[in-house]
Amino acid sequence: MIVNYNWLSEWVDIKCKGEELAELLAKIGIEVEEVEKISGDTIYKIDITPNRGDLLSVIGIAREIAAKTEKKLKKSIEYKFPKVNTDNKINVTIKDKEDCPRYTASPLNKIKITNSPSFITERLKKCGIRPLNNVVDITNYVLLETGQPLHAFDFDKITGGITVRRAKNGEKMVTLEEEEEKLSEEDLIIADENGPIALAGIMGGLESGISENTERIVLESAFFKPSLIREASRRLKISTESSYRFERTADMYMVGYAAYYATGLLEKYADGKIMGKIIDTNPNPNLSRKIPFSYNKINDLLGMTIEKKKGISILENLGFIVSSKNGDEAEALIPSHRNDLKIEEDLIEEIGRFIGYDNIPLRFKYSNYGPVWAENRELIEIKKIMVSLGFWEAINIPFIEPGWASKKREEAIYLENPMWSDKEILRNTLIPSLLENTQRNLNRGEEIVRIFEVGRVFSKGNEEEENIGGIIAGHISKNWYGNDREVDFYDIKGIAEALLEEIKIIDYSFKDCKNPLFTKEKASSIASGGKVLGTFGLINQEVCKDNVFGFELNLKKLLKARKEECFKKVSVFPPLKRDISIIIEENTPFGEIKSILDHSTKQRARIKLIDIYYAQKIGKDKKSLTIRLEFYNPKKTLTDNEIKGDIKLITKKLESIGATLRE
Amino acid sequence: MDLESLGKEVKLEIQKAASIDEAELIRIKHLGKKGSLTKVLHTIGNLPASERPKAGQLANKLKNELAELIIEKKEVIKQKKSLPWIDLSLPGRKPNLGGLHPLTILSQEIQDIFIQMGFSVVTGPEIETEYYNFTALNTPKDHPARDMHDTFYLKDGRLLRTHTSPVQIRTLEKLSPPLRIISPGKCYRVDTFDPIHSPTFTQVEGLWIDKNISMADLFGTLDLFAKKIFGKDVKTEFFPSYFPFTEPSAEMWIQCPFCKGKGCSVCKKRGKIETAGAGMVHPNILKALGYEEFNGFAFGMGVDRIAMTKYDIDDIRLFFQNELQFLRQFDDSKL
Repeated sequence: MIVNYNWLSEWVDIKCKGEELAELLAKIGIEVEEVEKISGDTIYKIDITPNRGDLLSVIGIAREIAAKTEKKLKKSIEYKFPKVNTDNKINVTIKDKEDCPRYTASPLNKIKITNSPSFITERLKKCGIRPLNNVVDITNYVLLETGQPLHAFDFDKITGGITVRRAKNGEKMVTLEEEEEKLSEEDLIIADENGPIALAGIMGGLESGISENTERIVLESAFFKPSLIREASRRLKISTESSYRFERTADMYMVGYAAYYATGLLEKYADGKIMGKIIDTNPNPNLSRKIPFSYNKINDLLGMTIEKKKGISILENLGFIVSSKNGDEAEALIPSHRNDLKIEEDLIEEIGRFIGYDNIPLRFKYSNYGPVWAENRELIEIKKIMVSLGFWEAINIPFIEPGWASKKREEAIYLENPMWSDKEILRNTLIPSLLENTQRNLNRGEEIVRIFEVGRVFSKGNEEEENIGGIIAGHISKNWYGNDREVDFYDIKGIAEALLEEIKIIDYSFKDCKNPLFTKEKASSIASGGKVLGTFGLINQEVCKDNVFGFELNLKKLLKARKEECFKKVSVFPPLKRDISIIIEENTPFGEIKSILDHSTKQRARIKLIDIYYAQKIGKDKKSLTIRLEFYNPKKTLTDNEIKGDIKLITKKLESIGATLRE
Repeated sequence: MDLESLGKEVKLEIQKAASIDEAELIRIKHLGKKGSLTKVLHTIGNLPASERPKAGQLANKLKNELAELIIEKKEVIKQKKSLPWIDLSLPGRKPNLGGLHPLTILSQEIQDIFIQMGFSVVTGPEIETEYYNFTALNTPKDHPARDMHDTFYLKDGRLLRTHTSPVQIRTLEKLSPPLRIISPGKCYRVDTFDPIHSPTFTQVEGLWIDKNISMADLFGTLDLFAKKIFGKDVKTEFFPSYFPFTEPSAEMWIQCPFCKGKGCSVCKKRGKIETAGAGMVHPNILKALGYEEFNGFAFGMGVDRIAMTKYDIDDIRLFFQNELQFLRQFDDSKL
C-alpha cells in the first residue's frame, strides 16, 4: 500500500521526516519497503500484514503514528447523517444479515460529471490510481483515506430498489472491465429487479456504472462478510482495492463515516444534492467487544516487567478503554477497527509493539530435557561418503516430465497446478534432473562430471522415500602421468562397491537390471537380504545418447542392509602371496571364478584380479586371467606347506569349469 | 676455551656444512696441524701430572669422534648428490575431489548450532495434508494469511508443504513437552523461477515448548544463534510481525555483514537483512493438542536466503543449476 506524508500530516502531527518515519513505523511492525521523495512530499510503500486490514488507509497509519508518538488525531471521525424530508429514497433489502451486516445507500441528484479538483487527482496518482471523473475519483479518494471501499451506481439505471443477495447459479453480469462473469450461489451480489448490478465488494456492473450523462447516483458504503468476498475474488480471479480490503475485514463504524464524508465531497466537488433519506440498515452496530487480560501475564509473556501504568497508557493511546478489576485482572474495550484482536496474547503483542521489541531483554536458559537426537543424521554421513569418493552434491527441484515414469505412469503423482506445464509429476527417480545437470556441466566445458543427489522420490505406492543417485560422465583427461580415457561401467561399479563397503554392507550380490532407465546389458541391480537396493550402470541410450553412467539406490533399504560386525583381531603376520594364471573361455564371468575361490580355501584369503589378457597365442575366444591370492592367518606366518592343500583344491575346481593353469 | 664447548661448536659447524669442500675446511681448521683441537692437545703437557692422562684421553676421544663425523658428513653429501633431480613444480597426483552443496553446508551448520543449544532434529513428509500444513497451524481456509503461502496441490487434494511447521505438529502429537526441536527440510511455494524466487527452498524451523517461556527467551535464543552463524559482532534487531501460528510475532533482522549497516546492494540499501520469522506459539495450536498449561516459541528461517547473504549470491537459481564451477567454491570442511 502507498501513503504519502502530506496526507498523513492532515490527520496527525508528525515530528520526523523521510527515512525517520519509516524507522518509526518499522519499530511498531509496519514495514516500509520503499521511501520515495518527490517535490514537496514523500511517498511510502508499505507492506501490510494480512491481519491488519485497518492499516490499509491514511487514517489507519495516522492512528498508529499517533499512538507511537502519544498524540491525538487532528480530525474527528464522528458523523451524523443529515435529515432529509423528500421521498426520493431508495429501497434496500438485505437477504441475509450475516452476509451483509451493514449497508448504507445515499441518493444524490443534480450531479455534474466533470474532472476532479487537482488535490484529489494528485493524491490518487501518487497512490497509483488513475483519475476518471469526479464521482469515481471521490469514491477512490475516500477509500484511500478511510480504508472503506465505496461504490457509486447510476440511480436511473436501477430498476425498483437494491437487494443484497446471493447470485443464482448461472446468473451473469458484465463488469466495469467489460468481462462477462458467470456467477454461482457462493457469490454475494447487489441486484435490482432485473438482476445483478454489482459483485458485492469486488466490482460494479457496466450497466449501472457512472457515465458522462449520469445525473443521479446512489452511493454505497457497506460491510460484507470477509470470507465471501475472498472466495468470490479467488474464484472469479478479480482482485481490486475494494476486495482486498473487504477480505481483510472492514470497519463497521467506518462504513457510516465514509458514506458521510464522501457525500460531503460529492456535494462540494460534483454539485450533488442529497435527494432522499440515507438508508442505513444498521445505524448503531454493536461495537463493544471486550478482551480480559492480566498484568502478570503481560510480564510473563514478554519476559520483562512493565509498569501497570505504562501498559494502560499504551492501550489507551491505541484507543482502547481499559477497566481494571480486582488486582491483576483487567479488561480492554476494543475499537471497531481492530478486528484482528481476539485474545489476551493479541493485547500483549500490542503492548510489546509499543514498548519496542528492542527493549525486551535477551535471555538463554538451558534446561535439560534429556538426550538430544537427530533423525536425519545418516543423510549427512552418506553425503560425506560420496564427497570422499570425489562427487559433488546437487540439489534439484523435484518436478519432472511424466515420460520419465515410463511403465509406472499410473504410480506417478501429478500436480494439480504444476510450475512448468511439462514437468507435471513429482519425481519418482533422481536420474532425470541429474542428467540435466550433467549435460549443463558438459556444455560448460567440464571434462568429467561426478555428481550425486540425496533426496525424496515420490510414487503412489511408496509415498515418499529418500534415494541416493549419482552420475559419472565425460572422460578422465590426459595428464603427465596417465592417458585420456572415457569413463566406463567399472567406474560406476567401483563407486557403488566403495559406497557399500564404506557403509559396511558386506552381504550383497549383483543381479540382472530391470530398471528401464538403464541399459540392460551394461547395468546391474544390487540386492541384499533378498531385497533390491537399487541399480547402477550405463544410462539407457534412448534416454541419453552419450556414455553416461549412473546409480540410484533406496537409502532406507541401503541403511537397513548394513551390518555391525564384531571387531576381528588385526593380523600382525604378513600374508603369503600366490599368483595363479588361468586360460578360460572368454565369456566365463569373473564372478563365477571368484565365487569358486571364495568358497574353496581353508585358510583366510583375499582374492585380487590383477590381469586380464587376450591374445592369438592363447586361443580364439579365450582369455587369460591372473589372480593374486593373499593367504593370511592372525596367529602365525603361513608356510608354503600350509597352503598347498588350498592351492590344489582351487586348481581342481577351476579345471572343472574348463580352466587350464598357465605356467 | 674448554674442551666441551669446543666440541659442541665444531659439531654444529659439521652439521651446517653443505659441501665436501666445506667439510674438509672444517677438518683442517680444527683437526689439522694448526687446528684448534690440536692446539688444545699441545697444552695438555702444561697440566699437573695427575690430570694429564685423563685430559689426554678426553681430548683424543673428541678428536676421533669429530674425525668420524666429518667422514660421515662427506658421505651423506656425496650420496645426496647422486639422487636424481625431480621437478618439484609438477602438479601432484590429486585424488578426485568432491564437495557438499552450499545449501547442505549451511543447513547443517545451522542444525549443528541448534544441536549445541539442546535442540533435537526431527523430519517429516514433504507431501502434506491441508490439516497439518494449515488448519492445525491456526490458518483456516478463508484466512487472508493463506496468501502468504501460494501452494502446490496434488490431484488428490493433498499438497506440498509450504513450510516445515507441520513437522512440529506431528512431533507434538507423538512427544509431550517440554521439548526443543528443529525441523529442517525442503518446502514448496508457487513462485516464479527468477533471481530471487524459487518453487522450492530449504527451511530450518524451531520450536521450544515448556512452561513460562517468554519473548526474552525467544530473542535471546535467536540472537545467540545469529552470533554463532554470522560472527559474534553481528547486530540483531527484532521487529513486530504477523504469522497466524504465533502471537505475539516477530522478525529478526541482522545488520548487513557486507556494509555494516551503511546500505549496499546485498541488503538493497536497507543496511539490514531479514533473517528469521518467529513468535510465541499461538494458544489455539497448543489448546488443540491438549497442552494448555504449556507455552513456547517457534521460529523459521530460509536457508537459501541466508546462504545468499552469507556468500553474496545474487541469483537463487544458481543453487539448482548445480554447475561444478559454482559448487567448487564452498567450504564443507567445517562439518
